Amino acid sequence: MRAFFLPLLLVASLTTQASIEPTDSLPSDAEVKAHTSALEVAGAFSNDGFKSRDGHIFGKIAHKEPKFIQVNLYSGNQYWFIAAASSPAKRIVVTIYDDKGKPIPTEPYENNTQAAAGFSPQASGPYIVRVEELEGEPAAFCLLYSYK
Amino acid sequence: MFSRVSILLLASAGLALATPAPLTPKELASVVKVDSLSIPTPAELMVALNKVAKPNWQSKYRQPIPTNFSSRAQIALNIGGLIADGYIAVEAEDSQQVKNIGKDIITLAKCLAVSESVIARGNSIFEFAERNEWNTLKEELEATQNEVKLSLEQQHDSGLVYFVSIGAWIRGTEVISGWIADNYTPASAKLLRQPEIVALMQTKLNELPAKTKQDPLVSELIARLPELQNAVSFSSDKSPTQDEVKNVKEISGKLMANISTKQNAKEAK
Repeated sequence: MRAFFLPLLLVASLTTQASIEPTDSLPSDAEVKAHTSALEVAGAFSNDGFKSRDGHIFGKIAHKEPKFIQVNLYSGNQYWFIAAASSPAKRIVVTIYDDKGKPIPTEPYENNTQAAAGFSPQASGPYIVRVEELEGEPAAFCLLYSYK
Repeated sequence: MFSRVSILLLASAGLALATPAPLTPKELASVVKVDSLSIPTPAELMVALNKVAKPNWQSKYRQPIPTNFSSRAQIALNIGGLIADGYIAVEAEDSQQVKNIGKDIITLAKCLAVSESVIARGNSIFEFAERNEWNTLKEELEATQNEVKLSLEQQHDSGLVYFVSIGAWIRGTEVISGWIADNYTPASAKLLRQPEIVALMQTKLNELPAKTKQDPLVSELIARLPELQNAVSFSSDKSPTQDEVKNVKEISGKLMANISTKQNAKEAK
């Protein structure tokens, strides 16, 4: 009985965390740390003319349980999708797919709990960002993006 | 393409990862769509258009809209529309127009009884416009939009959050499709392809409480969005024709005209 309900509870929890909209509850310390860490990477891109969106998403990430977020992009723009995770995550990666799930070649950045993928879409429309924990324990993560 | 920053980053990245496998149907089904990331700002569309054309942004100003609506849905939609107008004024580097729009945003936001933080953002817009800080203004406009949404969430009025994004996106699409229709090139026309944004808007509108959907403006949006979705759902490997772009302009223009017409507020409960 317990074994049956535990995965359901876990899925419900992850879904809520991954689809976070602005809420009246304050982000946790781990989420704030992940956000700060993602902004640190975005700051490096801003020196090269990239503008960070104010919007971002928090969630829980675990090994072999990647998160997928849809974004809608414009051809000709350049984008960096930046994710950061808090401790006890050890290594994460960001990958991009088209709306059919085909991987898109990107410029990767990986620095343990910070990761990013950069590309310039050939066509306007929907794309999918995958954030995956490669090493470590379940942790909070934050995803945001910059464009120019 | 990503120049010196990316070279530095790639150097720190070490070896690139192996090409990932395509997503499975189960993974595709788990894709999350969120207002904060899945709906682009009008600024992103304007940046893209600036790369293929030199639009005269001032020519896309509109007459001031009413700021005394009674329907909360209509107020939220018009705040979004004004945010898009703010980006247009920033692109035109017109500080007085930015200040005028900022004033209207604050007036409408007060009608929603939003928090003081939104008012503070509005004041920042004035200050940055005074100093011609255009890049900062773009950030401030998006931050203002997000403050309004956050305030609505805190009032347990989360259904209105998407109205702000919808208003901004429709106004941005009206302006950009209008410019492309008058200055057609296949490259610029391809920018308008965005089927999933409208699909997401339709989903969120259909999830609204029945009472909200009875608002005449909301019911009209629900009825007309499929038409707009068809108009921006062309194949990724072809450019829409000039007539197809004109169709996008016409549909989004009609929607925006209704959104900003006070009559709708009078009819709403």
